[in-house]
Amino acid sequence: MKIRLPGSVALVTVITLLGLGSCSTNDSSGTQGAGGVTRVAEPGDVINQDLMIALAQAKNFHHKAKVYMSDGKTDDAMAAVRQILSLQFPAGAPEAEDVRLDARAMLAKLLVGKGDLEEAMRVVDEGLVQSKRESFFVANLHTVKGEIHEARATLLVGDGDGEANKAKIIEERREAITAYDRSIKINTALQKQLMEQR
Amino acid sequence: MATDDDILLGPVPSPDDEPTAAERAHAKTFAELVDKTFTGRTPPAMSADDRALLDVATVIRAASGGMPLAPSTQRSIVEDALRKAIGEPVGSTAELPSAPRQQVRPIGSARRRWVPWAIAATSTLVAVAAVLLLWIRTPAHVQVQQPAAASLPSTWKSRPTDPLIGPIARERAGDAASRIDYIFADRLDGFRDRTLGGRR
Repeated sequence: MKIRLPGSVALVTVITLLGLGSCSTNDSSGTQGAGGVTRVAEPGDVINQDLMIALAQAKNFHHKAKVYMSDGKTDDAMAAVRQILSLQFPAGAPEAEDVRLDARAMLAKLLVGKGDLEEAMRVVDEGLVQSKRESFFVANLHTVKGEIHEARATLLVGDGDGEANKAKIIEERREAITAYDRSIKINTALQKQLMEQR
Repeated sequence: MATDDDILLGPVPSPDDEPTAAERAHAKTFAELVDKTFTGRTPPAMSADDRALLDVATVIRAASGGMPLAPSTQRSIVEDALRKAIGEPVGSTAELPSAPRQQVRPIGSARRRWVPWAIAATSTLVAVAAVLLLWIRTPAHVQVQQPAAASLPSTWKSRPTDPLIGPIARERAGDAASRIDYIFADRLDGFRDRTLGGRR
């Protein structure tokens, strides 16, 4: 006995096949190239290999500087620390600023130890200008700045008791106090902020 | 002289016995009767036994597909069966005094014809609507999903080291070497956790 398929059923089958074909076409075109509908973003602020490499290099340079300092080679130690300032960190990584500011503080301390106060002040001021946020490292840099002003005042004390000299000494000491006050304020604000976040 | 009664009521012959003349004559007569019946020339009168045998032969032939019923006969048989099912006297078209007339729809009614077409039409409309929707739908602009970053643990993220280091004492202002060790170890933990412990 023959079974006759109604014409509309055959039409439904054809249309359904066309629809499935258009579905697959849309999906395939959607995933090709830049025409995709949805893309899952790769997180840009994760700890990646580039950041770890930069941190490892900074660590190695610091250790290198420590070895040079233990051997009394201050210039070589400062050269190793300066290399940290030119390391390439991932763009926008907060660790980059912290590591560079800390390196500047260490370099400034080495320069103060060597007696090159002007270069030390220049290194500190450059770091403070480049800083984009307040941090414990910025506060540390202000502390080092205060120490540099103190060292300047101490040198001026040794130059004599002239009136001009006295004014400079007072000015340097005032700047030192200002720098220390600034460091204390930053530390206090940050500590309060961290306590509130916990 | 042998009669039909003798054949039907007598002892049952064994299969190997030779048919008798009476049996042959009876078989020939019955065969002619069956042929006449199947060609529409049923004799008006016949014995009850012959009629019973003829009914059996008719049923056997109909069951084997050799005797299709006329459409009118088929409808009549089915309608009688349906009437019997709903309690109406078979073969009777008289109305019952206490019950309304129940019309038995013939099998070949219009309802039977349009139901599958309606289903097919509905399916067609649904399929057409789905196809049109797919063709008309414009692909949305590229949506970059950001929840992946937001759901990451904080230890996997690049972040300020202030919470890790804390305030730096004045006497340790130049001790950057120990602090970089601390920072590196902390970030290495997060990096290993992310890359080796199952990236999300």
